[in-house]
Amino acid sequence: MEDITEDEAALYDRQIRLWGLDAQRRLRAATVLIIGLKGLGAEVAKNIILSGVKAVTLMDHNPVDEEDRMSQFFVSGAAIGQNRAEASAPQAQLLNPMVTVTTDTGNPDEKDENYFTQFDVICATCCPPSLQTKLDKLCFQHNIKFFSGDVFGFYGFTFTDLGTHDYLHEEVKKAPAKGKEENKSKEDEEKSKASEEVVITKEQMVFGRLEDALTFDWSADTPEMKRKIRQTPTSFFITKVYEEFLQQHGRRPSTFTLEADTKELQNLRIQVLNKLGVPAKVVPEDFYLYGFGELSPVCAIVGGVLGQEIITAVSQKGAPLNNFFLYNGVNDEAMVDTIVP
Amino acid sequence: MAAAMNGVFQKSLQENIKKCKLLMVGAGGIGCELLKNLVLTGFNDIELIDLDTIDVSNLNRQFLFRKEHVGKSKAEVAKESAQRFNPSANIVAHHSSIFNSEFGLDFFKQFTIVLNALDNRAARNHVNRMCLAADVPLVESGTAGYLGQVTVIKKGLTECYECQPKPTQKTFPGCTIRNTPSEPIHCVVWAKHLFNQLFGENDPDEDVSPDTEDPELAAEAGKAALAADANSDAIGGITRKSTRAWALETDYNAHKIFNKLFRDDIKYLLSMETLWRKRRPPQPLDYDNLPGKGETVNSSVMRDQRVWSVQECADVFTQCLEALKADLAARGEEGILIWDKDDQHAMDFVACVANIRAHVFGIPLQSRFGIKSMAGNIIPAIATTNAIIAGVIVMESLKILAGNISKCKQVYLNRVPNNRKRLLVPCVLDLPNPKCYVCSAKPECTVVLNTTKTTVRAFQDKVLKGHLNMIAPDVEIDDGKGTIIISSEEGETEENNDKFLSDFAIGNNTRLKCDDFLQNYNLNITVAHVEKLDEEKEFEVVGDLSDFHPKESTSTTAANGGDDADDLILMESEDTAVTETTQTGRKRLAEPHDDDDGQLVKKKRLLDVGGSGDVVEIS
Repeated sequence: MEDITEDEAALYDRQIRLWGLDAQRRLRAATVLIIGLKGLGAEVAKNIILSGVKAVTLMDHNPVDEEDRMSQFFVSGAAIGQNRAEASAPQAQLLNPMVTVTTDTGNPDEKDENYFTQFDVICATCCPPSLQTKLDKLCFQHNIKFFSGDVFGFYGFTFTDLGTHDYLHEEVKKAPAKGKEENKSKEDEEKSKASEEVVITKEQMVFGRLEDALTFDWSADTPEMKRKIRQTPTSFFITKVYEEFLQQHGRRPSTFTLEADTKELQNLRIQVLNKLGVPAKVVPEDFYLYGFGELSPVCAIVGGVLGQEIITAVSQKGAPLNNFFLYNGVNDEAMVDTIVP
Repeated sequence: MAAAMNGVFQKSLQENIKKCKLLMVGAGGIGCELLKNLVLTGFNDIELIDLDTIDVSNLNRQFLFRKEHVGKSKAEVAKESAQRFNPSANIVAHHSSIFNSEFGLDFFKQFTIVLNALDNRAARNHVNRMCLAADVPLVESGTAGYLGQVTVIKKGLTECYECQPKPTQKTFPGCTIRNTPSEPIHCVVWAKHLFNQLFGENDPDEDVSPDTEDPELAAEAGKAALAADANSDAIGGITRKSTRAWALETDYNAHKIFNKLFRDDIKYLLSMETLWRKRRPPQPLDYDNLPGKGETVNSSVMRDQRVWSVQECADVFTQCLEALKADLAARGEEGILIWDKDDQHAMDFVACVANIRAHVFGIPLQSRFGIKSMAGNIIPAIATTNAIIAGVIVMESLKILAGNISKCKQVYLNRVPNNRKRLLVPCVLDLPNPKCYVCSAKPECTVVLNTTKTTVRAFQDKVLKGHLNMIAPDVEIDDGKGTIIISSEEGETEENNDKFLSDFAIGNNTRLKCDDFLQNYNLNITVAHVEKLDEEKEFEVVGDLSDFHPKESTSTTAANGGDDADDLILMESEDTAVTETTQTGRKRLAEPHDDDDGQLVKKKRLLDVGGSGDVVEIS
C-alpha cells in the first residue's frame, strides 16, 4: 500500500489520531457504491467521502423531488426534477478533492451482476427488500461488504453483512498489580498506571444473510419466542411495514398523498405483522403519525452509524455492529440486534 | 424543510419549529452538522456564534468548510454554506466570543432554546449561567472520538452544567516534572515549561531546574546544604529566576543551553543520590557527542511519524532556538511567545526537547505526531460521531418544542452496544443539586486558603475567574460597611491587587458577596483560613467546611490552555445492569426503558483528557 502523504496526514490528522495510519491506508484503497441519494444516502456519502476512501459512486435513477429538501443537503430546491445522483455529485465532490466521485443514473435492479463486482463496498438505501436481499446474496458470493438502510420519518434502520470478517480488536489491559496492596506507595501506583497497555487481538465475526432475518418465523407460541419479540426493538417491525409499502407500491409513503398512504400503512401494519406471526401490539396503532418524509436529524443519526460501520468494516479496526441498527426517535430507541445469527 | 410540509410533524410541533428562535454556540465539528440538521428540519430563525477561524485539520469533518475557507470565520462560512440548503432561512452569524458583553442577559432572553456545540469548559460554564439567568432551556453536547453525549439543562427542572464538580485537569507533582520523570508526558510537560521559561510568560510554577525541595530529599540532613548549593551558582547553573536572562546573555546559544539543561543540570540531579536509589539514574548528554551522530536520516517515513534520533533532536533544537529567537525579537522589547501546537517551531521545540529529556531518563522516545497529541491535548474527532450527536441534539430539541421537556434524556453514544443492546443510551435527567453553587436559590460556597498569603489579584484570577468561572466579578466584604475589594470597573480597585486578603481584615469566617453582573450571578463566599494546604495548592473550594478533607495532591499542570480539543467533551457512558457506585459515592438510577425488570444504574465518572477546558465527563 502506498504511504500517506503529508497533505493527507494534515487533512486526516484528527481521525488518524483515532484509528491510526493502517486504518487510513485501508480506507484510501476502498471503492464504494452508494445506491439511493435521498437524505440517508447523502449522509453516508458525506461521511465516507470526508473519511478519505478512494472512490465513491453515487447511483440513483430517480429525480430530485420536493421532499428531498427536508434532508438532502447536496441538492438545492432548484435541482428538483434533475437526476438525484447527478445533482448531488458536484457538492459531494467538493467535500474532499482527494476522493473520486462518480455517478450512475441506472436502475440497480437492471444492472448485471458483473457491474457490482468492481466495488469493495455496496451500500443500498431506498431499495425495496427484494432488491436488498438480491444485492446481499450477490455481495456474499463475491466477497463484497454489504450494507443497507433506510429512514422513514422518525424511524430508521441499517443492516450489515460482511460475510466472514476479520478485524483487530484493541483493549486496554492493566498489568497485574505486584506486591501487597497496603504496601503500595504512590510511586507504585504511578507505575501500575504506566503499565496499562493496549492489547491487540485478531478477531473474526460471521454474519447472517438479510433474507434469513426478513423471513424469520416469529409465530412459535413459546416463552422464548415471546421474550425474543419483546426484546426486539420496535423499529425492526415498524420499518418492515414501510419496507412492504415500498415493495408493493414502488415508492415511499408521501406527504402529498397523506390520507391515502396513511390508510395503506394501517392496512399494511396488520398484513405485515400477521405474516410475520407477531402480535399487532408490537407496532403502536399511531405509528404512521411519525413516518412521513425523512427527518434530517434521523438521517444524521442513522447515516452516522451506517457511515461509521462502513469505515469500521473497511479499516478492519474494531468490532462491527452485528447486524441491524434500529432507530426509533419516538421512544428513544437506538439499538443493535441480530435477528438471525 | 420538514416543518414546511404538512404531515411530517404534529401540527403544534410544526408551528413551534417555524416560530422558534434558536441560538447555536459553536460552529465547529458538532456545529456544522447541527446547523445542517436545523435548517433542513425547518428552523428558520437561527443565530450562531463562534470565535474561531477554519484550520486545515477541521476539514475532515466540518463539512461546511473547504480548503479555500481556511483562515476565515467559522460562523460566517457555516452560515453561507448552510443557507444554500434553504436560502430563505434567517441565519445571523457572529464571529465573536460568547464571553463578549454584547451577549448579555437580554440577548439570551430572546431565544426559545440555546444549543451548545462547544469545545471547552469555560464557555460551557458561561452559557450554562446565562441560560439559567435567562431561564432558557439549554441543550449541551460533546464528542471525543467514537463517544458522544447530549444533555438538556432547564432551570429548576434538571441538573445544571455545574451541579456536579468536574475534575480538575490532570496535573503532575512538580518534583516529578523537574527531577524524576518516568513517562513521556512528564518530558512533554517539562518541554512546554522550558518553552515558556525561554520565550513565554515567566511562571514560577513552571521552573525547569532541578528541584531541591523534593519531598523525597526532605529526610536528608543534606537538604539545607543542597539548597544552599543550588543558589551558589557553583554548578554553572543558573538560579531560579534567571533562565530567560541567562539564555538571552548567551544569545540563545544552542550549544550552551543544551549542555546546561541536559548535561550540567542532570549531573546536578545525579548528586541528589537519594532520588536514584530505586530509580534508573539519568545519563547526562554532551552536545558534541550524541547518539545518532553521523547517521543518515531515514526520510522514507514522514517526519511527523518517525522517531528522531537524539542527534536529530539536537539539530532541530538548534534550528528552533534560532527561529524562536527571531520570532521573539520580532515581538519587541516586552514581547513574549505563546506556545501553540500548530506553530511549526514551537511544536518542533517541544518535540525535540521532550525527546532529548526522555533519552536522558531512559524513557521511550516518541514521534512528533505522538508528542503533539500530548502537548496539544488533542482529542481525536470524526465526522460520524459529530453527525450522530448533532442529530440527537435536534431530537431532544424537538421534545422541548413539543412541550415534552420532561421526556428529555441525557443520551450517551457508545462505541459498542451495551448489554441491553443500546448503542445510544438514554438516561433520565437528574434533579438540580440543591447545594449547587451556581443554580441553587442562594448560591454559596466556602473557599479554604491562607488569607495572609493570598493576594486580591490571586483571589480574583485564580479563585473567582479560574475556579468559579466568573467573568467580571465585583466583591464586597459582608462586614456591615460594604467594603469593596474587587470592582469590575476598570481602575477602581487596582491598588488592592497586590495586597493580601488579611490586609482587609479578611480571615476565618469572613463572608464575601460576589456579583458577576454579566452572568447575573451572585455568590456568597465564606472564607476559611488555614495556614497550609496540601503541597503546592493555593486554595480549595468546597460546599461548606464539612466537605473539606485535606488530602495529598499534586501541582503543575499537564498542559497549557490547549483549547484545541476539537469537538468537545462531556461524556462517555457505560450503563450496566449492576449497581455501580459513582466516584462521588452517589448512585444513580436510570429510567427502566425496557419492559423487562430493568434496573439500570448509571455509572458516572469523569474522565479528564488533560486539556484545560477539555474534560470528558463520562457517565
